[in-house]
Amino acid sequence: MRRPVLLPAIVLFLLTCLLLLYRVLWLGYPVLPVIQEQVWQLVIHAYLAPNENESTLRLALPLDHAGNMLVEERIVSGSYTFNTVVRGPNRFGVWSGERVGEPEEIQYRAVIHTHPRRGVPNQSPLQSPFPAALSREEQTLAEGVALNWLALGPALRLRAVVATLRGQPEESPQRSELLRRWRLVQQRLEPMDAALALLKASNLPARPVEGLRLTEGVQILTTKWIEVWTEGGWRHLNPETKELYSSPPALLPLAVGGWPAVNITGGKLSDIRWTITRQLMSQWMLFYERIAKSPHFLDRWSLLQLPQEFQGTFRVLLLVPIGALIISVLRNVVGLPTFGIFMPMLIALAFRNTGGLFGVLIFSGVLLIGYAARSFLDKLHLLLIPRLSVILTLVVSCFTLLAVVGNKLGLRELMAVGLIPFVILTMTIERFFILIEESGVGEALRTAVGSIAVSVIAYGIISYEPLQLTFFIYPELILTVAALQILIGRYTGYRLSELYRFKKLGELP
Amino acid sequence: MILESFRRLRECGVLGMNFRNARYIMVYNARSAFPLVDDKVQTKRLAAKFDIPTPEMYAVVENHGRIAKLPAVLEHLHEFVVKPARGSGGSGIILIKGRTAEGFSTQSGKILSREDFNYHIASILSGIFSLEGGEDAAIIEALVHPDPVFNNVTFQQGVPDIRIIVYKGVPVMAMVRLPTEASDGKANLHRGAIGAGIDMGTGATLNAVHRSRIVDTHPDTGYPVSGIRVPHWDKLLTMAAKATEMTGLGYLGADFVLDRDVGPVLLELNARPGLAIQMANQNGLRLRLDKTDDAWSDRFLSAESRVAWAKEQFRQGS
Repeated sequence: MRRPVLLPAIVLFLLTCLLLLYRVLWLGYPVLPVIQEQVWQLVIHAYLAPNENESTLRLALPLDHAGNMLVEERIVSGSYTFNTVVRGPNRFGVWSGERVGEPEEIQYRAVIHTHPRRGVPNQSPLQSPFPAALSREEQTLAEGVALNWLALGPALRLRAVVATLRGQPEESPQRSELLRRWRLVQQRLEPMDAALALLKASNLPARPVEGLRLTEGVQILTTKWIEVWTEGGWRHLNPETKELYSSPPALLPLAVGGWPAVNITGGKLSDIRWTITRQLMSQWMLFYERIAKSPHFLDRWSLLQLPQEFQGTFRVLLLVPIGALIISVLRNVVGLPTFGIFMPMLIALAFRNTGGLFGVLIFSGVLLIGYAARSFLDKLHLLLIPRLSVILTLVVSCFTLLAVVGNKLGLRELMAVGLIPFVILTMTIERFFILIEESGVGEALRTAVGSIAVSVIAYGIISYEPLQLTFFIYPELILTVAALQILIGRYTGYRLSELYRFKKLGELP
Repeated sequence: MILESFRRLRECGVLGMNFRNARYIMVYNARSAFPLVDDKVQTKRLAAKFDIPTPEMYAVVENHGRIAKLPAVLEHLHEFVVKPARGSGGSGIILIKGRTAEGFSTQSGKILSREDFNYHIASILSGIFSLEGGEDAAIIEALVHPDPVFNNVTFQQGVPDIRIIVYKGVPVMAMVRLPTEASDGKANLHRGAIGAGIDMGTGATLNAVHRSRIVDTHPDTGYPVSGIRVPHWDKLLTMAAKATEMTGLGYLGADFVLDRDVGPVLLELNARPGLAIQMANQNGLRLRLDKTDDAWSDRFLSAESRVAWAKEQFRQGS
């Protein structure tokens, strides 16, 4: 007898497609909401202590440059006045004011979207002049050093410059006098100036840049490097170590062309630091602004409109159906035994707080302690409900102990133990005990391992961030999950475990 | 390779769990009929109406208050069985063989104090052994004295039972479950009892399965398990066939014991019988189920005609 299961499954699937198409074609949602892009948050904290005169703090702000795009900016100026000025390719925030008093905090926040493949300007910038620190004779000397490799291509010229800066030029002996003189000049010069001079002499367009390393953490000093244009694109040279950064470099430029990133006149800067954090869920923030103002139905009735604190719940909740689908597959197609049907799902949800490893350890530990206690209780001949209550108390005691120990050790994962559903754990202990009594230790252990395996798999799925984001933006996808659940519901083939169980029967003549 | 294994099982007509649930239990077993087989008190009453003998029921304990009144009921009884009305897999069953000063002696020779005995009944009532974990009742019924036919292939005092799968009233496959030391004298395959297939045509036992191995002899006694003729075979099959009319279940397992005095008695019915019987018989169930479907006709109206058909169709070598 064929049941018309295909029909509801297809209807649900088509509904998903319809809603997806509407979003992508009409509302312009990205087809893949999760792509190889990164979003960073930069916070500049500065403490400005003014004096009697007018004091002005000029900070270089991140710019749309070399694949970086500013998404959002916020400024806290205290009682200073703030404005921005543009100098060449740079943008500066200027805080100025006349005030006597305590140092005041100035804050600048920006969300920066880095896109490694976004069009970097591919024409060569103007040649810069020699750095002012070089005298005319020194300029001629640099040109003399570079003369030998002027005929080479830009990449090879850059290599020769780097080698010379390191004091390892591949040169003939007749030029050793020239190079010796250059080494003396190089020792006198700032590394930045020496590098810029050789690059200029080699006809390589280059410019000094001041900025930050693009890694999570706090930086109290800026980093300086040189951007060099070769035909193949931009290369980034560290003048201190005389090494080239790998491309694309993990750098965030702030001020280009020799402008200082921090400049203060009048007052005193008591502290400045740049904090960079990775923004994990900001991918959709890119179009969040637009959706918030959108008149379209699906945009206004979107989960993105929920207050931030409730959004997290739904990011996980929307993946729970997938977890359930996985459990269906593991039980009905693979044949893994588990305690209860949705118990692994609830445990998986708890693993989000404890982490997978700690989750598994806590779960197995409490299960074993619970089993020992249950065996002892069996001798006391308690009635069912009081007995379960005792085990529940034991579970809660274990949790309390773990949380206190976790606090002492500074392990947040242990403190989060309270979020494991203790009722489920209590029932699991009872079932585990009865299963051992009825079907033996082997079967009980198999079921316990099966449950943990399913929990870990489900946990892996619900904590996979790109998937969370995809379902959050396109919640209609759960209709397709439902369609798959319906189809699994009519799977009447063998379970993988039965291939083993009935292997002998398959070998009959 | 996996697909190849799938195909082989399919060709051998092996019935899988998913197929059993979706194509037989969900289609032919109405939810409303489940209580008739899940509750052994109801099964017994129903069986009596259809003249199918079951072990005589001495008392039903339905609430804790009645435990205190039990001694009066048990006073004249020397041997009896305590079992949960909604138990599954043989758990919670105690066989009492005699009385001592402290209380009772069980079949395995252990002494059970009165207090322990009452605790066990209280445990049954609180639903520990019940299928859904809800409230339950305890049944006190007559102890079966097994027919000696399986004595050589049964561990000590265990009681072998006979499981017959009945599809649309046709008995399609049968096995006898023989207790072992590992199964603690219980006739449950997952506890380590062995299951010997039965030739439907003659009622003679075939090879047996122990865990997932095929065995020729009983692991404890060493006697061969095959070639034992099950007495009252036709009567057994007919009783099993009637279980369908009795319950309305299209796919069920009927469990019988052979009593040396009264012959076959029905122990319980099962609306979700397991699949291990295929291993015991070295034979897939689906072939027989399909054969039954194909042959279905008016002549299957009486239990006797269905049994005659099954004996002819499913005899060994056919």
